[in-house]
Order: sequence, then C-alpha cells, then structure tokens
Amino acid sequence: MPEYQYIGKPARRVDALEKVLGTAKYIADRKLPGMLHARCLRSEVPHARIVKLDVTPALAVPGVRGVITSEDFFEHGLYGFPVKDKYMLAYQKVRYVGEAIAAVAADTPEAALAGVQAIICELEPLPGVFDMEHALDADAPQVGPDRPDGEHPNFLDKLIVRKGDPLAVWEQSPIKLEERYTVGPQEHAYIEPEGVLAVPTPEGGVVVYAPNQSPFINHGNLALVLNLPHNLVRVIQPPVGGSFGGKDDIIYESSAQVARLALITGKPVRMVFSREESLIVSYKRDAMRMHIWLAADPDGTLRACKFDGLLDSGAYASESSFTAWRASIHAMGAYRYDACHVDITAVYTNNGYCGAFRGFGNTEVCMAIEQAIDEMAYKVGMDPIDFRLKNCLRLGDETVHGQRLTESVGLAECLMAVRRLSDWDRKRAEYTRRDVACNVSTTNDIRRGIGVAALYHGTSLGAEGQDYANATIAIEQDNSIDITSGLTDYGTGSRTVFTLIAAEELGVRPERIHMQRPDTDTAIESGPTVASRSTMLGGNAMRIAAMNLRQTLDYAAADLLGCELHQLIRHGEAYVGPAEEPVPWERVVAHAREMGLALSAHGKWTAPRINWDHHAGRGTPYMAYHFAAQVAEVEVDMGTGNVQVIGFWAAHDLGKMIFPQGAYGQLYGGIAQGLGYALMEQITFVNGYIQETNFESYLIPTAVDVPEIVGTFIEAPFSHGPYGAKNIAEPAMVPTAPAILNAIYHATGRRVRDLPANLERVLLGHDLAKGGSPRACKLGLHIA
Amino acid sequence: MLIEFTLNRKRVAVEAPPDITLLTLLRDYFNLTGTKEGCSVGECGACAVIMDGRLVNSCLVLAPQAAGSEVITIEGIRGPDGGPNDMQENFITYGAVQCGICIPGMIMAGEALLMHNPNPTRAEIRTALAGNLCRCTGYQQIVDAIEATARSREGNR
Ligand code: FES
Ligand code: FES
Repeated sequence: MPEYQYIGKPARRVDALEKVLGTAKYIADRKLPGMLHARCLRSEVPHARIVKLDVTPALAVPGVRGVITSEDFFEHGLYGFPVKDKYMLAYQKVRYVGEAIAAVAADTPEAALAGVQAIICELEPLPGVFDMEHALDADAPQVGPDRPDGEHPNFLDKLIVRKGDPLAVWEQSPIKLEERYTVGPQEHAYIEPEGVLAVPTPEGGVVVYAPNQSPFINHGNLALVLNLPHNLVRVIQPPVGGSFGGKDDIIYESSAQVARLALITGKPVRMVFSREESLIVSYKRDAMRMHIWLAADPDGTLRACKFDGLLDSGAYASESSFTAWRASIHAMGAYRYDACHVDITAVYTNNGYCGAFRGFGNTEVCMAIEQAIDEMAYKVGMDPIDFRLKNCLRLGDETVHGQRLTESVGLAECLMAVRRLSDWDRKRAEYTRRDVACNVSTTNDIRRGIGVAALYHGTSLGAEGQDYANATIAIEQDNSIDITSGLTDYGTGSRTVFTLIAAEELGVRPERIHMQRPDTDTAIESGPTVASRSTMLGGNAMRIAAMNLRQTLDYAAADLLGCELHQLIRHGEAYVGPAEEPVPWERVVAHAREMGLALSAHGKWTAPRINWDHHAGRGTPYMAYHFAAQVAEVEVDMGTGNVQVIGFWAAHDLGKMIFPQGAYGQLYGGIAQGLGYALMEQITFVNGYIQETNFESYLIPTAVDVPEIVGTFIEAPFSHGPYGAKNIAEPAMVPTAPAILNAIYHATGRRVRDLPANLERVLLGHDLAKGGSPRACKLGLHIA
Repeated sequence: MLIEFTLNRKRVAVEAPPDITLLTLLRDYFNLTGTKEGCSVGECGACAVIMDGRLVNSCLVLAPQAAGSEVITIEGIRGPDGGPNDMQENFITYGAVQCGICIPGMIMAGEALLMHNPNPTRAEIRTALAGNLCRCTGYQQIVDAIEATARSREGNR
C-alpha cells in the first residue's frame, strides 16, 4: 500500500476549535439588528379540511410585522422529491398533528405567539388512517394525493427484488423459518433543535442560513416557491448541531417560511424550534412491519428468502420511496440464496410523517433479517458466526440482484475479526451452558449473552439517482488555499476529509487549507449530502481538483528549476529538482503567477454507471458495498427486564480510512444510536398524536448506557473510491440493534421481534396496554 | 430586578426580569451563546454551567438565584494564552467533537468532575456525563479526552 502523508493519519477536525471554545455560531446564536422572530400556527388534529383561515386579526396584534399562508407561495408552495405532495404551509387540508398552517413574524417571540393565537382557523376533522395495515383498505380515508393511475391514493410505492421462486423452495425445504418483526419510528434527536434565519437583500433576493444537509435542494425549492430567479436566492449552511438524515424537508419548509416573511417585511427573520416543536413536527424514521420466510439445508446452506415489508410513510412521501428501495435491496442480508423475493410497500397514514434517517431502510430491515438469520443458525444447530461465514457474500459471488462482486468484499474478515476481538467462542460456550429456559419470577437473576449481526450497505445513492460531485480549489494572494465542495458537513467530519485529501494531493500542510462553509453562491451543486456519499463522491471530486492544481504548480516548478516534470521530487512542501536545492512551495506559487498560470482548479467526479430495473427487480443497485460485523454482550436482569450492554465489538470494511478520529467517531456514534434504537427509543402515535414530546419521555442513550466499544477497520480498497475509501456514517449503526437482540436471546432464550426491546417486551414478551392522549402533544405545540 | 454575581471571574450586574432562567440571562443579556439550549427541561445538559463549583443545568436555574454566586461558562474556560485549555485541546486531539452542540456542556461537566475528583476512572467519568446527552459521538472519545486531561493534570501536580 502506498505511504501517505496525511491520509489515514491522526488529524485535527477543521471546525473543532470554535466548537470547544463555544464560539461556533449555530442559528439560535445568531442575531441581527431589527431581526424578527417567526412562529407557526400548527395543526392540533391529525387530519382535517381547512374550512376557514383568516390571518387579518394577527396583523392587528402589536409587534406583528407579517403573516403568511400557502397563498403567499407559488403554486401554494407545493414541493417534494421524488413525489411532490407537501406544501410549505398547509393548503386545503392538514394531514398530521403539527403541520404548519400559517407563519407569523413579529418583533418578539411573545408577539409572534400572540399573533399565532389571533389567527382564525377553522378545521373540519376528517377520519384518519392510523394503522398502516389498513391504509390500503377500500374504505380507508384518503391521505395521499389523487392517483390518476388507478392505484389506491394511500399507496406510495412498491419496490421489489426477484430471483427464482423462494416460496417453492421454502415449501420443499427441510429447515424453514417464518417470522414477523416490527420496528417503530425513531426520532433523530439532534441536540440542536431546528432553526433558520433569512435576510432580505437590497437587490430583492434573500439569503437563508439553514442547517440543512443539502443546501442546493433548499435553494431550488426556495427559487421555485418564492418565484425568484436562482441568482437571487442564496443558502448558506451554518454549523449544524446534528442531523443524521433529519434536517432536510423540515428545514426546507422553515426556510421557505422565513424567506417569504423576510421578503414581505424587509427585515431579517429567524425561526427556532423548541424541543417539543421539534419532536412533534419533524419527520421520523419510518415504522415497518416485516414478514420473513427463510429456507436452509440441514448442512446450514441458505437456500431461499422471501421478505415482505410494509412501510409507514406517514402523511407525506418525503424520501420514503427511496428508503423503501434501499430497504428492498438489503432486506435479505449479505448472503447467497438460490431464490429470493423482496416486496416493500410504502403507504400513507396520519402518523406524523417519515423521511431519511441514518441507514435509510437498511437499519429497519437489518433488525429483522439478522434476527431471522440468527434463528436459522439455531435451527440448523450452528454457531451464529459459523452460519454467517458459511453463507456470506465473498469476492466473486453474485448477489441475489444479479451483481457480481469483483472487488472490495471484506465481510468474512469482519466476522472473523469480531469473533477474535470479543473472545466469542469462550463466552458463547460459557453463557450457553446455563439452562436457557426463562424463569421470570426469579429476582436478581442476571444473565449474560453474546450476539452477532452482519451487514452490507450500498455506497452512495446507487440507482436512486445521478451520482456526481464537484469541488473547487484556489490559491489566495497570501498563499492560503481555499477549497469548496457542494457536499456539506453537518458534524460528520467531511470538511476535514476534504482538507486532508487536498493536502495530500498538493503536498502541502493541511493548516494552509481553508474549507469554506457550504454556500450555494460559492460551491458547485453536487447532488444531496445523504447516503454517506461525501467521502467517496466529494472526496474524489476534491482529489481531482487538487490534482489539476498540482499539475499547474508542477509545470511552474519545472520551469523554475529548468528541468523535466518527471525529475521533480517533493521534500515536505518544497520542490526539489536535479540541482537538489529545495525550492519553497511559495516560490513555486509566485513563479506560477509570473507565468500567468491560473491558480485555481475544479474537479468533478461522476460515479460509474449502474442500473436497476424496477419492474424486473434485478440489476446492479450500487457500485460497491460497505461490509461489517458487530458483536454485543449483554446482561439481562430477569427480574426487571433491564438490559445493559456491557461489551461491544465492531469490524467495518470501509475501504480505506482517511480521517481516523472522524471514522472512529462515526463508528462509536452510530453504535450508540443503534443501541438506543434497540433498547429505549420509542415513538408512540395514539390516533395520530405523538406521545413523546421531550427528552424525559423520549430516551436516548447516555454515557452510562453505552459500553466501551472496541472498533477495528478492515481495509478492502475499492478502486473507484479516493485512496480506496467507501463509506462509514450510516453502516455504523445498521447492525447494532440485531446484534443486541441476538445477545438478549442468547441470555434469556427469548426473542424480542418488536423494537425497541423495552423492559416489558424483554420481561413479558409483549407490550403493556397503555392509554395515550393528545394532551402532551397539544401542550407541546403551545410552549413558547 | 438587578442581579449581581460573578461571571467568568468578573463582577457583573444586570437589570433583568425575575422570571427568566439563568440560561436566558447568559444568552440574551450577556450574549454568551456558548451555553446551548437543547430541551429547556433539564434533560440534555447542553446548557450546563458551573455555579459555585457545581455543575448545573442553567435552564433549571432562575436568573435571580444566580445573585451572589460565581458562574463559569464555556467562555470562561480558556488556557493561559486565551486559547483553548488542556481539556479543550484534548477534545480536539481525541476526536471528541462532531456537530459540537453538546460540547460546551460536556467540557463544563468534565471540568466540574475534575474539580472534585482529579483522578477519575472511566466509569466515574461516564457517570459524571450521564446528564449530558450527545447524539453524535457515542461518548467514547469524550471520555478519552477527559481521562487524558485528568492524567496529565495529575502528572503536573
Ligand atoms: S437545555 Fe437545559 S438541560 Fe437541556
Ligand atoms: S457532538 Fe453532536 S451532540 Fe455531541
């Protein structure tokens, strides 16, 4: 492997200093003179027709400067991709509790609240759909938009994978499994609630500071609904206090609202959510119900998999058809089968709405398939790691989709690594020796178990969309270097990754380089910042930009040193020619200027073409896959049902590690989110009303819930990735929940097939009946 | 009402309504925005400051309660040269920072711990951080950074 100067070496995150000093300015920390405060009137019912909406009384409230409704947007603010079904403010109907109906800007937050309360809004309640199983009933109330194609309006999409006839194999098979699994919604729970700030410009446009993941999508939406030319709209991403897939649609909507209010009032307008507003209003990870059939031979060879999934998109499509697609591709797990069918159906209901969240469909299906695989291992009487090793995808295998894996397949190595690191064989034997039958009446009965889960996760967008990214690089007059990327950093560390790549290619110290904040005026559109694609797509673009600039400097150096290009060598930053006298980098730059060469460059990288046939359910879904295995060790208190994760090991094939602290940070953070998903994070909708409205009821893992994690990276390089790199952000969390659930089974002999595995599910095997009410939810909408 | 107290080692006096929180006082009256608001109900620790040597969630402290006390915020945590102190430097070195929104609270929690327990175990560090939520890091590198700070401060004693 080539030796790199900066790639894979410990580095300082480029934006860490301002964050540790407390000087980084998030949206809530930004104030401008004369700035107005905005707030939305939000629906208190899950489904209703808007019968009357009169905002004039709000305008009479002292301090109120502007009020808007859907009338203030082009085409009522209709937006959305790939399905256009949502409005920047509700038009004619509301479909979930918390949906924004009107927005008020006022001198103070108190006046804005008074303005909201003065609005006359009459809602005529409609029957709702609260159970995804009944969304497609003939008499189900219509939630989704009209379908001219004759499909049920509550049908959003269906995604399939097809190979052979798995049910026929299953019928004949000596060893078979049929089980159902469910996951509930998950909240992103970024610690920074949503906020946006819009500033009107003298030329009649607007600058929006928005902690969104994909400023260019926001930019396009804003130009559309504000009916402004693109050059009059600018979106800048300030520091983002966490996102995990969550800060897209909801931020686009808030951006459009404050932008319109800023244009109307001529003043800066800021909107900041309370935690309650954030939890009630923002989209969640989708709930899914899954039904799996697996067939195997007595020797442990997997033969067939059939996977049916139903996905609750809630009131709007958001990204759900993409989520369902990613779910369908990964639903069978990273294994070989003779036959496999996957059907994932996404439907509309009035349960809030769902969108992107780390893992994006794979987190949901992995919880199910990796438990089912574990159950099969028990059925055939094999060790769960041996069973996976026997069936897992290896170099040269063909996936069920029909894709030949010709490089970068590190799954078996990952499984063997976690087996070794976790001391699997010894613990497995030791904890199994006990009687696994449960005795819930025993108090102080603490049992240990250890479980594994494997993962594969397609890199970048795959056949979901056009896959490219742009980067620019320029040397400034003071010899500092400015770089830009159309992909953004919302805490992931990608700005540092890009900085290290530019430094490596140019052969200069990273301290020279300034990675600018994402800004639609200075960076070049690069598609969305999603799907863990920054390192690969943005990294390649940056590498190309830097290589282009380096070529220019190499010419200048050769001219200066009077030699051929191939005679140049580098000594630190300095250039050395045949005379062996090092010339400082600055002199080469100065000479390039004298030669009249352009000291800036652009890089664009487009992923290799792949294709997926949606009707046939076959093709090449992704150019490459991240592979991983994780092992969890748990202690279960058989008296209370409490589960403590006491050990965790993870081995991930990310191709190549670029920024070590960043990669490990993604790994640990992802595992913590997966642990929360497994054990405590529960969102409950009761007739469309969310019950968890702050962190006292929506629990996320604390430092004492998360164990010490032992992580290791397997580097099976991918030829198209920068230095061989693939991805890490999403895959880190995907296998965590099933690893923990498999460990719980090993400890207790009890399968928890519904997430989260809370106390009662672990202890009793079912939910306790709980009454819910709209109360907390409605209250949350009123908190200033 | 007039509220007088010591803020980041300076005596201050401010005219403010009695019903606001210390968090609002710090952010809106002193423009010290390093102290963050994540929940307003005492669950996340983003608003943590050190008050009379104890870690408190400033969203749960009424501004008048600060009268006569000594309050340290993240803006008061600096090295001798005005730059980052050793704990802040370690947060950078150990990769403890991702989105950063929880980090001021985490550093306050770390400093508060080391005031009372200069040589904590990793488990003790985790317990001290239990009131501070971080959604990005999984806590491990934050524990690393605080542990390293404790070790080097002990060594320099
Ligand atoms: S804002 Fe004070 S604890 Fe969350
Ligand atoms: S670094 Fe993002 S919440 Fe802690």
